[in-house]
Amino acid sequence: MLDIYLTIVLAPLMGSVIVGLAGNRLGRKISHSITILGVAISTVLSLYVFNHHVLNNADIFNQNIYTWMQIGGLNISVGFLVDNLTAVMLVVVSFVSLMVHIYTIGYMHDDKGYTKFFSYISLFTFAMFTLVISNNFMQLFFGWEAVGLVSYLLIGFWHHKESAIEANLKAFLVNRVGDFGFLLGIAFVLMFFGTLDYAETFSQKELIVGQTLFGDFSAITVVCLLLFIGAMGKSAQVPLHVWLPGSMEGPTPISALIHAATMVTAGIFMVSRMSPLFELSDVALTVVMIIGAITALFMGLLGIVQNDIKKVVAYSTLSQLGYMTVALGVSAYSVAIFHLMTHAFFKALLFLAAGSVIVALHHEQDIRKMGGLRKKMPITYITSLLGTLALIGFPGFAGFYSKDMIIEAVHYSDLPFAGWAYFAVVLGVFITAFYSLRLLFLVFHGKSRVDSHTEEHLHETAPSITVPLVLLAIPSVVIGYFTIEPMLFGGWLENAITIDSSHHALEKLKSHFHSAFALITHSVVTLPFWMMIGGGITAWVFCLYRTDWAEIIQSKFKRINYVLNSLYGFDRFNEIVFVKGALKIGNILWKISDMALIDKLLVNGSAKFTRYLGAFIKPVQTGYVYHYAFFMIVSLMLVLGWVLIASDYSFLS
Amino acid sequence: MITSRNTAKAALWLILTFFSAASLWLLLEAEFLAITLILIYVGAVMVLFMFVIKMLDTDQSTLRAQFTRYLPLGIFVSIVVIVQMALVLNAGPFDLEVVGVPEKHGSSYSNITAIAEQLYTIYVYPFELAAILLLIAIIAAITLVHRNQINSKKQIISEQINVQAKDRMRFATINKDKVKESK
Amino acid sequence: MIALSDYLILSSIVFCIGLAGIFINRTNIIMILMCVELILAAVNTNFIAFSFYGSDLSGQIFVFFILTVAAAEVAIGLAILTLMYRNRGSIDIDVTNTLKG
Repeated sequence: MLDIYLTIVLAPLMGSVIVGLAGNRLGRKISHSITILGVAISTVLSLYVFNHHVLNNADIFNQNIYTWMQIGGLNISVGFLVDNLTAVMLVVVSFVSLMVHIYTIGYMHDDKGYTKFFSYISLFTFAMFTLVISNNFMQLFFGWEAVGLVSYLLIGFWHHKESAIEANLKAFLVNRVGDFGFLLGIAFVLMFFGTLDYAETFSQKELIVGQTLFGDFSAITVVCLLLFIGAMGKSAQVPLHVWLPGSMEGPTPISALIHAATMVTAGIFMVSRMSPLFELSDVALTVVMIIGAITALFMGLLGIVQNDIKKVVAYSTLSQLGYMTVALGVSAYSVAIFHLMTHAFFKALLFLAAGSVIVALHHEQDIRKMGGLRKKMPITYITSLLGTLALIGFPGFAGFYSKDMIIEAVHYSDLPFAGWAYFAVVLGVFITAFYSLRLLFLVFHGKSRVDSHTEEHLHETAPSITVPLVLLAIPSVVIGYFTIEPMLFGGWLENAITIDSSHHALEKLKSHFHSAFALITHSVVTLPFWMMIGGGITAWVFCLYRTDWAEIIQSKFKRINYVLNSLYGFDRFNEIVFVKGALKIGNILWKISDMALIDKLLVNGSAKFTRYLGAFIKPVQTGYVYHYAFFMIVSLMLVLGWVLIASDYSFLS
Repeated sequence: MITSRNTAKAALWLILTFFSAASLWLLLEAEFLAITLILIYVGAVMVLFMFVIKMLDTDQSTLRAQFTRYLPLGIFVSIVVIVQMALVLNAGPFDLEVVGVPEKHGSSYSNITAIAEQLYTIYVYPFELAAILLLIAIIAAITLVHRNQINSKKQIISEQINVQAKDRMRFATINKDKVKESK
Repeated sequence: MIALSDYLILSSIVFCIGLAGIFINRTNIIMILMCVELILAAVNTNFIAFSFYGSDLSGQIFVFFILTVAAAEVAIGLAILTLMYRNRGSIDIDVTNTLKG
């Protein structure tokens, strides 16, 4: 089995290296074939691993492959931990990656950096695999940083665009802030447990209970919060979310791959993996839940006022990540992973569909210039419709199951502030429905606002784009129905996740669960269902029925509009406090400490001081001999006097 | 001596001082040194002094101008030093009770022999060094003051390089008529 | 009887007179040289006094060498003085201040 795991991880890397080094010489066809072959191999093998571990209940595979380094008594190695959680993640990542690879053939057709792009996305796949399959913190961090790096490279792929460069720098820096907290958390893990290996850490987890850090703070809470800061950076929770909308500057395939399905889910995956640690601290879990709820609600609100098709989907991603985080907070880890999986499918689908629309309209991204596209682009329309229905939680689709489970779990939890979190996620359903259907209506329904020149050339996009859409639409519809029971309640993820008995949200959920089909029929009487219907009707009213009402409301609620449009001022805050602050500190350091202190005072100053001393002593050298003689005689007198006095006046006896 | 205005008179006063010192040394049974003092110091060194004094023109008027300015300070410094020294010297270790008067030697005692016994055996090395020192002094004095080169043909490169044609050659027109005349 | 201390006091007085002479006649180089001779004479007397009262002949040997060195020094000093007069036209010490810092 080890060979299979190695192949899964290394096949994309091989593809990436070969195409990266020799891509231009090999030509486009061969380059994309090599990389797609690599990822396809990984996908097939991941399905096999899934079958082996999850369906056939194989043992957990935990083995160190290679000793990376040895520092003192600490052994850091490259190793694989494959259990059910890993298997699920492998399938998700590899499948979405394969779809994106195929999609890129059509999307980047006209681009000069065709082969470079394939190399990058294969490299990303390798990095994500490393992260998921790792069995110790160090390798996890390596994968963590590597996905951040490749994300940086890909966001700034069109590096001649000024906005792209700013966006990728922003992404990297904000990620770095999260990584800083993450690294501190890892350092504390090392300090308390003496090892970075997962298995050893979790088996000793009792060690940390009752210890304190920085005074009276419980150590485990601090460690979990620091680890969560890393997750906040990677999974774009408030306030480290500011990089995700900017990352839409990159080509759409990477928005689908990285910022919908895989990299941003790394944070969620990490918290689930660390579930034994998080279960020990109620405070950390509450913080996780609250931040998730804030993200879910407020980012959704921002999605309502966006006019760029990709930005709407980006804020939707942020909101859904908030949902996943809330689920983590109430200790419903399997629900979070379930939502992660379904979300990966339908969000990637939505991004790729948006990309299809963009390509068809010759890179037009403003939805105010779209409309009525469903007749001209049927496949794109139908798949987008399916994806949207999944996203808003229409009964029966994948998103319905996962979202509803999260809402129920929050409802049953008795962590402090759970009531407020419940309110936030329920309201979030309304908002999600609103902005998703708004997007759908404005792009595909209604009168066409496309300018006439583009409309003449409008047609459905190439099969290399539409086939992945169809392939992603299928799981978006059916996977929820089939996997909800085994994953959440059937113990699929049991050997990977620990839940403390005091956090019984999942238990209660299980006790209320009958069957997947029963959930559909039961949904009609639940609050989220009516929230969704309400959001849909509101969207229909504002976008198709009475489009002028939107402007009326906008003019009446000017201040709220302003707040939403300026994205709650996070960007301004960051710019004023951090960017300008850093510049100011740099300025001060330059002017005062470098120029004035070191240059003037120390360097020039010591020269001046020497000269001053010299000038002080210079008059002694008069050149007149009798001055020298005078000095000699007077010093003789003084020395004599000194000797006489120093001998304790014995001469007086 | 120190207050005399004339340098020559000061030198004469100094010679008197040396004579007095020599007589003191005779009292202290250092006969050889006393005679040496007179012969060499007064006879050679002071004569040299007189030579130089008379050779050079010492303008007395400008030199005396500064005299009164520093007189008080000079007297003060010297009195302080004398007092300091007297304080030390008046005390115990040098008194008559501590250091007794040694016996004077008999008439068969020869100071020169006694010095020679020590000088040529124990202190022969410093003796040789002193001789070399005098040699060096001679050479130095001659080299310093010597004005002309003695019998040495030396090349002065700078003059050789700076020479110009008109220094070496002179065109002369010889009148044929004059040559004819001296037949 | 004449004590050792008397000789010592005498030699110290002569020494100080020589010092004062240097001090007072600072502008006249020849006077300075002669005062140095005076100081040396005082020191020699000191040595001889100690040699007598301590019955040690090494004092006189030392005086011997001091005389030698003093003679050499006078010779060279006068040579320098002559050169200085030749180059500058006077023996005023104020003109020899080229070593002024």
